[in-house]
Amino acid sequence: MKNKIKLVILCCLAMVTNIFAGTIRVVTTTQDLKSIAEIIGGNKVEVFGIATGYQNPHFVDPKPSYIIKLSNADLFVTIGLDLETGWSPSLLNSSRNPKIQKGNPGYVDASAGVQLQQVPSSINRAEGDIHIYGNPHYWLDPLNGKQIAKNICDGLMRISPENKTFFEENLKKFNETLDSKMKSWMLQMAPYRRTKVIAYHNEWCYFENRFGLQIVDFLEPKPGIPPTPAQLVKIIGEVKSNAIRVIISSPYFTNSSSDVVARQTGAKVLTLATSTGAFDSVKNYFDVFDYNISQLIGALK
Amino acid sequence: MFRKIFLLSIPIFIFDGAIAQVDSTATDSLLLQVQEQLALSTPPPTPPLRTAASANPDISVIGDFRLEYQDQLKRHFDANMAETEFSFQSVIDPYAKADFFYSVSRDPGSGEFKGEIEEGTVSTLSLPAHLQLKAGKFKQQLGRINPVHPHALAFIDMPNAYVRFFGEEGLNDEGLSLSWLLPNHLFFQELTVEETDGPRESPVFARSLKNHYLTLAHLKNFWDLTTNATLELGLTGITGANKTEHTTNVAAVDLTYKWKPVQMNTYKSFTFQNELYYSQADFDSSRTNALGLYSFISLQVAKRWFVTARYDYTNKPDEAHFKEQAGSATLGWYATEFQKIELEGKYTSANEEDELNNFKKQFAQVFLRWIFVIGTHGAHQY
Repeated sequence: MKNKIKLVILCCLAMVTNIFAGTIRVVTTTQDLKSIAEIIGGNKVEVFGIATGYQNPHFVDPKPSYIIKLSNADLFVTIGLDLETGWSPSLLNSSRNPKIQKGNPGYVDASAGVQLQQVPSSINRAEGDIHIYGNPHYWLDPLNGKQIAKNICDGLMRISPENKTFFEENLKKFNETLDSKMKSWMLQMAPYRRTKVIAYHNEWCYFENRFGLQIVDFLEPKPGIPPTPAQLVKIIGEVKSNAIRVIISSPYFTNSSSDVVARQTGAKVLTLATSTGAFDSVKNYFDVFDYNISQLIGALK
Repeated sequence: MFRKIFLLSIPIFIFDGAIAQVDSTATDSLLLQVQEQLALSTPPPTPPLRTAASANPDISVIGDFRLEYQDQLKRHFDANMAETEFSFQSVIDPYAKADFFYSVSRDPGSGEFKGEIEEGTVSTLSLPAHLQLKAGKFKQQLGRINPVHPHALAFIDMPNAYVRFFGEEGLNDEGLSLSWLLPNHLFFQELTVEETDGPRESPVFARSLKNHYLTLAHLKNFWDLTTNATLELGLTGITGANKTEHTTNVAAVDLTYKWKPVQMNTYKSFTFQNELYYSQADFDSSRTNALGLYSFISLQVAKRWFVTARYDYTNKPDEAHFKEQAGSATLGWYATEFQKIELEGKYTSANEEDELNNFKKQFAQVFLRWIFVIGTHGAHQY
C-alpha cells in the first residue's frame, strides 16, 4: 500500500514537472507588455504583469511579493527609459536571478529601436518630472507595438531558440492584425484630425501624433505637479477660445480639477485607457485603441 | 505614371504592407490624404538621443535641515543642518552592485561638522540558490525602521525605544550579511543572517575586545492580503557583547499593515506599524530585562498631505526601573518626490529624570524638518 502511494506521488510530481518544464516564465512591468508577450509566446509562455492596467506606471509600490515572481522568471520585459525607475531596479536587484539582470539574455528593454519623442536637450527638474531619455509612453502609438513585439520575440528566441519558428509566426500574425486594425483606426479618426483637446498629464504625445490630435495644454502646470487654480483659469480660457470639447484624463488621476473645467466650459472629461486592463472591456493591447478611439469619436461627433 | 506609383507607395510604406491588400480605391485615397496631412503636420522625429548614457554611478545629495524647540532647555530654539547625505550607487559588473552613503552632520560633542561612511556595501547579484551576500558597513536588518534612512521616515525624531536600545544611528555595523529567499510560492519569506564586528556606539551592544561578535538573524514574512492591502511580520534575534564584555540578547518583532489602493496610490494610503524590542543583558553580577516598543499610524489624506501619530514606551536596557512614554503627531507636506516639509510635536513623560542626557521627567519638543534631494536617488524598501 505504501509503495502504491509513493508511486502515485512520484507520478504526480513527474506530471507537474513536465507541465512546467517547457513553460517560459515571463514577468513584464506593465499589462501591455504582458498582452503582447502572450500573443508572441502563445502556449509556450506564462506571463505575469506587475503594474495593473489602471495604475500609474511611474508609481508602483515595489512589494516583496513581486520578488518571488522575478526570482523564478526566465524573461523580464520592461518599458524602459525611465518609466519604472522608481521601482523596477530595486525589485530586480532583490530578485537574486542573474538570468534577467540588465545585459543578460533574459532582460528585454521594449523601447530598443523605438523612435522617441520629446527628447530633452537639457535636464532641469524645475520643469517638473521630465524624462531624461524622452517621453516613455511610446506604447500608445500602435505602430510602436510592432517594435515592442519584435523586441519581445527576440528575447523569447534568445532563451528558447528551439521555438524560433513558432515565435516568428506569432509575430507575423500580430503585425498583420495590427496593420488591419491600424487601417480601421486611422479611418475612424480621419474626420477628427487637428482636433484640439486638453490632457491631464503629458503622456499622450505618441497617440496624439499618430492619430493627428492636437493637445493644446495640460491640467498639470508641469509634469507631476498637481493642477493649480491659476492653471485651471488658464485652461478654462484656452478651452473657451479654442472651442475645445474634450479633456483627456487617465484612470489613476482624480477628476476633481477636470470637472471644474468641464463645469465652466461644457467640455467633456474622457478617462481613456492608458494600458491594457484599464477597464474591464480593455482585455488586450488592441482593445486599448479600440476603446480610446470609440470614446473619442463618441465625444467629438 | 511615376508620380502615381510614388503616391501609392506612401501608405504601403506607412502601414508595412497592409494597405497593399486594400481593394477600395476610395479608402486608399482617404488614407493617402490622412498620411499626407500627417507628414505635413508632424514635426520630424527627434533622433533617439540617450542623453544620460554614462559610466557614472547614480549620484544624489540629500539635505535634512531642522528647526527644533525644547521647553526644558534654557535655549529654546535651535536651527541645524542635521544631515547632508551623499549617495553613489551603481552596478559594479555583471556579478555585483555597490552602494555608498556618505553622511556629514554636526558632532554633538565638538560642534564641528564631521563626515562618516553611513553605509558602504558590495552586494552580489548572481549567487545561486536565491542567495544574496552583502559585505561592508550597513544598516542592519533589524525590524522596519533600522534599515531605512531617517529622511524616508514619516516622523522626524526616532522612536524612544529605538534610541534607548540602539542609539540615534541604530544598528549600523561592519561585517557580512547573507540573505536567502525561501522557496515559498504562497508568500514572501526572506531569512537574513548577519555577522558583524560589534557596534561602537550603541547602548545595548558594544564592540568587544575579545572574539565576541554580533550575530543577527531576521525572518521577514510578507503577505498580499488583497490587491490593496499587505501585511508584514518580522522576527529578529540578536546576540552580542555589551559594555561589560558579557552577553546581551535582543528579540524583536515587527508588524506592519499597509493599505494603498492600487488605482489611486498617489492620493490615499494608510500604514499601521509596530515594533517591539525585548532585551536580556548580563552584567558582572546581575541580569536586566528591558522592554521597548513603538506604534504608529500614518494616513495620507491627500496627494501631498500625510498625518502621523506615534506612541512610544521604553525602559533602558541597563535600567529596567526607568519607564518613559511619549506621544507625537506629525504633519507632512510632500511637494514632489524630491522635497518634503514636516512638522512634529512631541510630549515625553518618564518616571524619573534622565541625568545622563539632562532630560527632565516631562518635557515637550517641536521639530520642523525640510528634506530636499538633488540627483538620482534609489528607491526605498516597501
